[in-house]
Amino acid sequence: MKERKLPSVWAIVSMNGFLPLRRQPLFLINTLTSPFSFLFLLFIVGGAAAIPYGVAGGLVLTILSIGTSLQGDMTHYKTDLKFQEMVVASPVKAGTYVTGMALSEFVFSIPGMTVFVVLSFVYGHYIFLGGLVVAAALVLLWIFATALGFTLATYLADVRETFMIAPILSIALTVVPPVYYPVDRIWAPLRPLAYLSPTTWAANLVQGALGLSPTPLTLAQGLLDGAVLLLFAIVLFLIAWKKAQWRER
Amino acid sequence: MEALKATGLSKRYVWSGGSNQALKEVTLSVPTGSILGLIGRNGAGKTTFLRIASTSLLPTDGSMQILGHDVVDDSVAVRERIAVIPQESRPFYWMNPRELIYYFLTMRGHTKADARTRADEALAELGLTEYAGTLVSRLSGGLRRRAMVAMVMASDAEMVFLDEPTTGLDPLARRSVWEAIRKAAKANRTIFLTTHYLDEADALSNRIAILEKGKLLAEGPREAITAKVKHPYRVVVSDGFSRSELERYGEPIWLENRWLLLTGEREAREISKMALERGAKLSLAPVSLEDIFMQIVGKDISVDEAEADEGA
Ligand SMILES: Nc1ncnc2c1ncn2[C@@H]1O[C@H](COP(=O)(O)OP(=O)(O)OP(=O)(O)O)[C@@H](O)[C@H]1O
Ligand SMILES: [Mg+2]
Repeated sequence: MKERKLPSVWAIVSMNGFLPLRRQPLFLINTLTSPFSFLFLLFIVGGAAAIPYGVAGGLVLTILSIGTSLQGDMTHYKTDLKFQEMVVASPVKAGTYVTGMALSEFVFSIPGMTVFVVLSFVYGHYIFLGGLVVAAALVLLWIFATALGFTLATYLADVRETFMIAPILSIALTVVPPVYYPVDRIWAPLRPLAYLSPTTWAANLVQGALGLSPTPLTLAQGLLDGAVLLLFAIVLFLIAWKKAQWRER
Repeated sequence: MEALKATGLSKRYVWSGGSNQALKEVTLSVPTGSILGLIGRNGAGKTTFLRIASTSLLPTDGSMQILGHDVVDDSVAVRERIAVIPQESRPFYWMNPRELIYYFLTMRGHTKADARTRADEALAELGLTEYAGTLVSRLSGGLRRRAMVAMVMASDAEMVFLDEPTTGLDPLARRSVWEAIRKAAKANRTIFLTTHYLDEADALSNRIAILEKGKLLAEGPREAITAKVKHPYRVVVSDGFSRSELERYGEPIWLENRWLLLTGEREAREISKMALERGAKLSLAPVSLEDIFMQIVGKDISVDEAEADEGA
């Protein structure tokens, strides 16, 4: 039997997304917790003026959490359930499996995305074509997060390791980098470090599109941000392609 | 055609600070449509062999073809023709057996209608119809295992690998799994299974392969293997015989209240004549697979490698 791409992806999204959701709706709330905690803290400390940054950060964090959930689920399926081995020994290709898994993680983040998109219209001041800019930034970040999650999962030996990785990822990619605040709040000599994280570039785009940056988002800056983000996505994708182990050595 | 053909297959696991030679130049062929039972003690290399065959592990040396396709260079063609139940694999707890089969098949490329029909057939075949809609989280371990067997059996895979498919099943459930396996083989599918239950290997498979410490010690139809061992007969005699007397015919083992002796045909005849004269109870039979395993491997299948090495 040959693989049929779309039905295969759909089957995986159903197995890992819709069915668990139908049986345990609490999964829906779970992805809302972190971004809302940050939003809440920002509001308490910074007042209403901080809310737009909390919303921009929420969009980025929600997408990034797809990568963290992905590495957790994929490690679980590989090491505990041995489901991945059943997929390897089937017509389903690695890319199909990862796409299905990544889309199913997206299913869980739909409530978060919906809430933050609505909030972004309420609290943001979208520039011309700002919606497209946000969408592009988030899609690129999604590819990055997926490749990262998949690569990590093939190297982790146990689910307990994913519990350890998840907070590290979230701190290194969303709390420390200027995702919830503008990049110029960072002491200038240290600022270049912030650009090591793809989320900095994504957040810059989102903040700019929502009209939040102290300096408005120019076309040149927007293209540069987008290009770098694309580069991050491609590099991680290539790493996943070359280094992730579909078959063990 | 050969369903599986391994030539000089070796596997060495290497990690920082160590390595382990799990398979040593295994050469084996399995004809299409056969049921091969791969037996061996814990750590013998069964899972390693099965994982290489099912394309989830790379060999270190040698080659292997599945249905004419190389597992390393032509893995895509292999994967289109096989299905596997890995050792200790478990189904998703939030699905029921019918969903498990249905989605597994649509994922593999079956159409919805085909997947539905095959799911119902497999459920019936494995005695799962009554549990078709029950969530896995509410099923017993044996029923979960049967659901896994149903998943791969329902597929159109020409060759199916089962790593200890019946571990933890009750005798009745084991038999329903056996039935499904036999039926699949009749449809000219090839089944490759590993097991610790020698009675199962004996009852189910028409070919046996014995692995010990990564080496293939024997392989072939059951009769051919029986013919190879030095002592093809199993004699059990009650009292009326002394150890020294029986030692002339082999190595007697005292089992609580009777002697067990594996021996040759002529010797077996002599002992039965003597037993008849003395009025001692005697049973005479061809050796069981367990006896064969003992003779070939030199150890009981339940003694695992670590224990055996400590003892050595
Ligand atoms: N991932 C691994 N890394 C290192 N060594 C391994 C790995 N997997 C298996 N081994 C070793 O390879 C040898 C063969 O293991 P394998 O799992 O193939 O045995 P088995 O016959 O399936 O045993 P069991 O009956 O216990 O399932 C053992 O010595 C084992 O410790
Ligand atoms: Mg094993």
